Amino acid sequence: MLHAEVKSETLKKLVDIVGTIVDEVKLNIGSDGINLKAVDPAHVAMVHLELTKNAFDSYEAQETELGLNLSKLEQFLKLSSSDEMVKIDHIEDENRLVLEVDKITQKMPLLDTAGMTDPNVPQLDLPIHLVIEGKHLLKGVKASQNISDHIALTAGPDGFDMFSEEDEDLVRLSLSKDDIKELDAPEEVRSLFALDYFSSMIKSVSGDTLIQLELGRDYPVKLEFDFAEGNGHVRFLLAPRIETS
Amino acid sequence: MSFNPADGEHFVKRNPRCILCRGTKNLCNRERCPVLVKYYSQVRSKQLTDSKDLFGSSPPGVFVGRYGYPKVDIGPLVPPFKGDTFEMDTPELWLGKSIDDIVDFRTSLVRGKYTVGVDDVDEGGRVVDYTRDMALCKEPAEVEAIFNKKPSGRITLSDSVQPYGPSAPIKKLDLGTLKIDRRLDRVYNDTDLKAVEAVLELYDKGVFVSKIQRAFSVGALGVDENRRFVPTRWSITAVDDNIGKNLREEVKEYRPIDEYRIYETWELDNRWIILMMPRTWIYELVEAWYPETAWNPYGKDIAIISSHEHYEGRKKYAEIGGCFYAARLAVAERLKEEGKQAGTVILRETHPGYIMPVGVWNVRENVRNALKNEPKKFETMKDALFYISTRLDIKIDVWIKNSEVLKDALYQTRLEDFGRGEKWA
Repeated sequence: MLHAEVKSETLKKLVDIVGTIVDEVKLNIGSDGINLKAVDPAHVAMVHLELTKNAFDSYEAQETELGLNLSKLEQFLKLSSSDEMVKIDHIEDENRLVLEVDKITQKMPLLDTAGMTDPNVPQLDLPIHLVIEGKHLLKGVKASQNISDHIALTAGPDGFDMFSEEDEDLVRLSLSKDDIKELDAPEEVRSLFALDYFSSMIKSVSGDTLIQLELGRDYPVKLEFDFAEGNGHVRFLLAPRIETS
Repeated sequence: MSFNPADGEHFVKRNPRCILCRGTKNLCNRERCPVLVKYYSQVRSKQLTDSKDLFGSSPPGVFVGRYGYPKVDIGPLVPPFKGDTFEMDTPELWLGKSIDDIVDFRTSLVRGKYTVGVDDVDEGGRVVDYTRDMALCKEPAEVEAIFNKKPSGRITLSDSVQPYGPSAPIKKLDLGTLKIDRRLDRVYNDTDLKAVEAVLELYDKGVFVSKIQRAFSVGALGVDENRRFVPTRWSITAVDDNIGKNLREEVKEYRPIDEYRIYETWELDNRWIILMMPRTWIYELVEAWYPETAWNPYGKDIAIISSHEHYEGRKKYAEIGGCFYAARLAVAERLKEEGKQAGTVILRETHPGYIMPVGVWNVRENVRNALKNEPKKFETMKDALFYISTRLDIKIDVWIKNSEVLKDALYQTRLEDFGRGEKWA
């Protein structure tokens, strides 16, 4: 059972975040809020998103699972402006979701969740932890996109670097200790990532969003941030590229 | 040639100017593409017609130019003889023909030119109506064309469009009885049907891709007020792109293949290797042009260029040009037939026998043809790459270095490589 009201903006953000990883997702509905885990078809990136009931204007739910087509939801949300309220109702016997905004009502069939299992999340021990503002990551990614398909993330006691090179071109964004909100980096590490994945993971953040990064040497990166005024939290994991000669 | 340019990486150059341009972008700032000019000089001049009148059976073929857009030259392609000329404008039937054969029969097609605004599909007058009607035909049409002056020029070559012969401005056009293709006629008369949907409907009904492209170019498809002439070159890619995209999305519903596969073919001194990998959709075309081939005529080095797309497809036009979309159509079509998906890399090694560009059909039809054969199957990527190294001259390391998808397959790790856990650590 789900019966809730939430700002369109919050759902848009959810679609924005999860839509970079998958098209279809299983939402786990609980009495305190919703959460989901999804891995992309190539098993390179994973997302874990939680939205507490405080993110909703009203929220009544019993534990259930909803199989959602994100493109359909996105189309519906385009009919609303960010601060409009969306009413959500789950009609269990029809297995449909009823969405209402302004004067529009849409009934949306839900996907069968039988084949949609939560992915296993690898247990990782990442030595480096840092917190930086979204604007730095956005800028570093933008610079890299001009020249390459990959981006190397380097962190150490002195700071954090985003670096790309292709043929003769090279671009680097360097942040010193002072540019970084928190830095816990006893050693220097570097991992290389596919830029399209990395850029889509951060595309929903704004300049002042605080982003937690955890890094290792040739290891996945973990990236976390809050949304929906702190009532939503998202964690991404991205597997690295390892170029051995 | 005394040296094998494939011997070492030293002899490979990435993204060279001529291959990026292929006579379309004027990257060298010269008035005419010097590569094309060189080929023109090699083609024997043929006296097609000595008068301003031409009678013949058009395959039927039509051509919409791109110069002067949004004013363009449209008109029929007509040979100076009658008979069953259908094959002359149906590249689906050209596999196995030599470059000389293709150039020879295509040079016989005289291009009539009639300048119109691209929007004038409805009220452009008789030449416009007749040109469109011809594009809807299933059999050759008898045409009488009266030109303002004698057709001139020898042949026009392009990387995307198949060659054609001399041209002249049309003064008057007359047609014999036309045999209209009912499938084309249906979508032409449905003025509420979007162009993309019309293209897909025609493809599903088995209309040759080249005929869909022909109808698309004359503004015979789409919602009434959006209909317009589309230069032949753009039509070819638009149709390849739309069909391929649609097939790709269908293919993504299926399970991946179970093994590594290699399909191959060798035609017009082009060696084609198609590697399919057991994974979700990703696709790339990598081309290596030897010195003295069509788009690398001056180089001493092999020139390599590639374009790829990930699972979601790509937004920017492929660096490598229309061939990217033509080959993608063939790949997605094959996978859909089988009800499987795969990651695909096409490696094209173009050897010096490929002396001039003959059009993008060459890519589509050769890839289709290769995919009709039984593939060689392999358990591992390593075995597949080893086999490739026995079939192509260029070293496998060089291919890998120039292929984003091969690099991805070899170097991109998966999350499960880092152990499985239950909790979000």
